[in-house]
Amino acid sequence: MLSRTAFSAPAVFNVKKRMKGVLFLILLAPAVITARLFQLQLFQHEEYLSKAERSIYNYLAEDRVRGSIFDVNGQVLAESVRTHSCGIVKRYVKDKNQTLTFLSQTLSIPKKQLTEKWNQAHNFFFVAKRIKPDVYTQLAAVRRQTLGQGLELTPEYERIHPFGTRALDILGQANSKNMGLSGIEQMYNREMTQDISKKRAKRSGRGDIIYDRHLKEKIHVANIYLTLDATAQFYTERALQKAVETLHPQRAIALVQDPHTGNLLAAASYPVIDGQSLAFQFTYEPGSTFKSIVLASALDAGVITPNTQVDMEGRKWEVAKGFVVQDKQHHKDSLSLAEILQLSSNIGAGKIAVEMGGKMLFTYLKSFGFGSKTDINFNGESKGTLSSYTNWTKVDLATKGYGYGVAVTPIQLITAYSAIANGGILMQPHLVDHLEYTGGKVEQKAKPIKIRRVLSAQTAQTMRELLQTVVEEGSGKRAQITGYNVAGKTGTAEKLSKEGGYGKRSHVVSFCAMVPATDPAFTILIILDNPEVYSFGSTAAAPVFKEIAQPLLVLKGIRPDKLDF
Amino acid sequence: MKKWIACLLFFTLAFLITIIHTGVIRTGRQISLLQQAVQIQEAQNQYEQLEITRLSSPEEVTTYARELGLVEARPHEVIVLEDK
Repeated sequence: MLSRTAFSAPAVFNVKKRMKGVLFLILLAPAVITARLFQLQLFQHEEYLSKAERSIYNYLAEDRVRGSIFDVNGQVLAESVRTHSCGIVKRYVKDKNQTLTFLSQTLSIPKKQLTEKWNQAHNFFFVAKRIKPDVYTQLAAVRRQTLGQGLELTPEYERIHPFGTRALDILGQANSKNMGLSGIEQMYNREMTQDISKKRAKRSGRGDIIYDRHLKEKIHVANIYLTLDATAQFYTERALQKAVETLHPQRAIALVQDPHTGNLLAAASYPVIDGQSLAFQFTYEPGSTFKSIVLASALDAGVITPNTQVDMEGRKWEVAKGFVVQDKQHHKDSLSLAEILQLSSNIGAGKIAVEMGGKMLFTYLKSFGFGSKTDINFNGESKGTLSSYTNWTKVDLATKGYGYGVAVTPIQLITAYSAIANGGILMQPHLVDHLEYTGGKVEQKAKPIKIRRVLSAQTAQTMRELLQTVVEEGSGKRAQITGYNVAGKTGTAEKLSKEGGYGKRSHVVSFCAMVPATDPAFTILIILDNPEVYSFGSTAAAPVFKEIAQPLLVLKGIRPDKLDF
Repeated sequence: MKKWIACLLFFTLAFLITIIHTGVIRTGRQISLLQQAVQIQEAQNQYEQLEITRLSSPEEVTTYARELGLVEARPHEVIVLEDK
């Protein structure tokens, strides 16, 4: 028993001891790891969390999706495409020569240029931006190799305008981070963009993006559909460009509006500045194109009738002491309303304005929308200038009759002409047709809104007939279109000079018309500000109208309203 | 002894969880790479679509038509058919 005890006791002791030793060794490693994790999680948690966040969010700090902009027919006018920029962090590059050669070949950039950039940069420099997907694939393929070490491929966006600079003054610009900077892009920034950076992905230690499977964020951005028609815009810009090349104006504007809905079909400006549309921001004294508005108001108020004859006072009308209005373009003793418009008589229009009186004229002009913004909601829209009638003298009244002493915007004038075109109703002009959100929700913006009736249907009809005679027999002959009746009015207004008074050399020529006159489908306004070549509304602006209207009539399939052509 | 077995089981379980987790991460990474590839293809497709839009713009069509000797029709030369 003793001997058994003496033999077996050490053996049991040894096995147990060894087992404990082995288990201790097995548990030692996990215990050390656990202890380290414990230390990291409890004591160094904040430090590592902020490091991780920096690595994730620095990379994707400004990743946002952006809706597109379409014309009324769904043609893309602006769309964002995800691209990448490529930069180099010098300290991570293993072989400078090899890396620069690779980049030079892949990105088609001279190696000399890259070397110069390398030498100038402290630690980081951009090699290329807006890298197309096929090239990005080649760059991404080497990122895990020694060759690709130090390469930083950052996502960014390219805002593409497939039609080039078409309507760029309206659309505006968005930057590579998908932020709208001007024009429609800026105005609808909130609806069009969504920040997806913080929920979309994480970046691993090796620099790869790991998409989060749990946080699939629902994209909710709007695509914007404008009332503009890309084809109509093309014809309008083409005609305006032609006029600019011939007459060299300082500025030029062409607008096309549907008089029945108030929707703008085309809006072109020269010079083209992103998000700076002269259609809403330019103010000018309209000159003779304003006579139609004054005559329409007087007709509607019953101050004159279609048969009224206006005495020309020997073509020299002394409005007040020291202020004489002259008509040098005719030799008639009296003019009918049609003749006042055809010959663009300042005396005729001035006398009618005086006959109306300040209060009545002011009320009509306000009713037409002058002196107020149109609420088209374009950034920087001007309201023009229309001072209160209480301060008007007889001279002020007379000059307003032929379009001086009042400043209007192109959108105000075309909308007023559209009221004549559509039977007397001032329509709310629209630029944005609707917003379509991801998921299909549609927010209609361009519902035809009748602001108010400004003329009776009969007055509007009479005015269209009177304006038709301007194109048939008067100053608007160059706007005639075979097969169609055109009703419009030319304007040649002298501009205020810096020295004071109106300068003979500085002027604005314009033409505003509707076609077909019997039931207008389009109202078109052309303005050429201070053309280098001295010209008139009749010779410079009316032909531009024709150039725009002809293809539009074909495009929209508008039937001729004249049978004898 | 039971304690040691419990410990072993615990660590074995932890080891298995780690392996599974690693597998999940690896799969996640593969998904991420595939998503990236899809995104690149989508961007490529987008470029092609926009190029089609550009080529079908009235400007391009008009230029090409003129090269072919075609002229724009004037409105009175067009017969409008009723869409009924």
